Amino acid sequence: MEDSEQTQYGSTEKPDRGAVLNGHFDGMVKCPAPGGSGRTAAAAATSAAAGAQNPGAESGAHQPVMESWREERTRSVEDNESSLPSLAAAYTTILRGLGEDPQRQGLLKTPWRAATAMQFFTKGYQEKIIDVLNDAIFDEDHDEMVIVKDIDMFSMCEHHLVPIFGRVHIGYLPNKRVLGLSKLARIVEIYSRRLQVQERLTKQIAVAITEALHPTGVGVVIEATHMCMVMRGVQKMNSKTVTSTMLGVFREDPKTRDEFLALIRS
Amino acid sequence: MEYQNASEMNGGVDRNLNTCKRNSLCREKKDFKDTVDAKKLSHIEKAYTTILSELGEDVDREGLLRTPLRAAKAMQFLTKGYKETTQDVLNDAIFDENHEEIVIVKDIELFSLCEHHLVPFFGKAHIAYLPNKKVVGLSKLARIVEIYSRRLQVQERLTKQIASAISEALEPAGVAVVIEAVHMCMVMRGVQKMNASTVTSVMLGRFHDDPTARKEFLSLTMRK
Repeated sequence: MEDSEQTQYGSTEKPDRGAVLNGHFDGMVKCPAPGGSGRTAAAAATSAAAGAQNPGAESGAHQPVMESWREERTRSVEDNESSLPSLAAAYTTILRGLGEDPQRQGLLKTPWRAATAMQFFTKGYQEKIIDVLNDAIFDEDHDEMVIVKDIDMFSMCEHHLVPIFGRVHIGYLPNKRVLGLSKLARIVEIYSRRLQVQERLTKQIAVAITEALHPTGVGVVIEATHMCMVMRGVQKMNSKTVTSTMLGVFREDPKTRDEFLALIRS
Repeated sequence: MEYQNASEMNGGVDRNLNTCKRNSLCREKKDFKDTVDAKKLSHIEKAYTTILSELGEDVDREGLLRTPLRAAKAMQFLTKGYKETTQDVLNDAIFDENHEEIVIVKDIELFSLCEHHLVPFFGKAHIAYLPNKKVVGLSKLARIVEIYSRRLQVQERLTKQIASAISEALEPAGVAVVIEAVHMCMVMRGVQKMNASTVTSVMLGRFHDDPTARKEFLSLTMRK
């Protein structure tokens, strides 16, 4: 109880805007210790490294976790409505720049539809893990692997603004606390509905589960197809990208990892 | 709605493209076109920068620094069909051949953009025609699919445009086109139905009039 996340929500630190990356800031990082008590490692908070990697903070057996639990929302529902006109204007410019006629019947309302669609594809910026998870963590004396697999995932490539879609498989070893199963899928939704890079997405999901539950270990595997490789560029239709993040005992114990990988294949 | 020819559908076609590439006057025209294209690219790039900041992202972070340019070029690639015409692609690959049986090219991968949401839809096209003394190079059928799919499209219109283009170019006894596609605008947003796919078909000539011909085509292409 003394280590419960609730006490930390009262903190009033607000990061400056410059340190916000993809909806997260490089604030305090936590090491996922197997005993369940969080050890905080101070990381260089404000001069944020450009990517999620912070090599200086890496250490021996326990890989420090890169993002903080308390991400700020970078957008609100009111922001959505107020930015719609300028988004629609931007899309009209794009249509004209491509040589199309924005006044023809099929394209008349396209700027608005495309703007709303894009806001939907990036709705992860409006949501926080806390809101989704707050009441679905239960005390349960279960210490075998829990896996939720084949979670359909849709994201947007941050380099080309073209969809990425695939499946996410998540497994964790509870340490006295389990999570409502759909909450794992909701965590995937929050992080995938953003402009993403698959490596970062995998890590963010794993870190969020670690920080929420302090389990003995977490494993996340994502297999996805990137439309930026399929529809353009190299144009390889059948290629898939697979990334994985293993934390805690999934990283340290090969047998646990093998069990997880075998179960998600079956 | 009937169209006189395929090029009238789906917005304008850049008619300047069919000029001869060999003399200097045309080269001037081409240079002028390149400048115009570069200007259009920078407009699209600025529009994408606006979009990124309005979505709540930080445009100066490393991963997004060149994204407006990349996204603009990607979008231009995905709509490159506007600059191409059937004639450019087909002109020298039509051969006289005494073959009057069905010719099918199936499972042609197709990628297009929904004109309503600017989100991709992709799938397969199956094309068949009954030659009337003239056959076409097989890859040209796939190239025709490319020309019309790399545009802002509606699946119904895309199917019709492909069928009409082949009809006009070859004057065959019949043309059939079937497209089966998955629309990301239905899968990623809106109703969010993962497994739904949309099938459209256009049958012209003997494929329209003769049920046996149509049945032969469908049984040869729609086998799983």
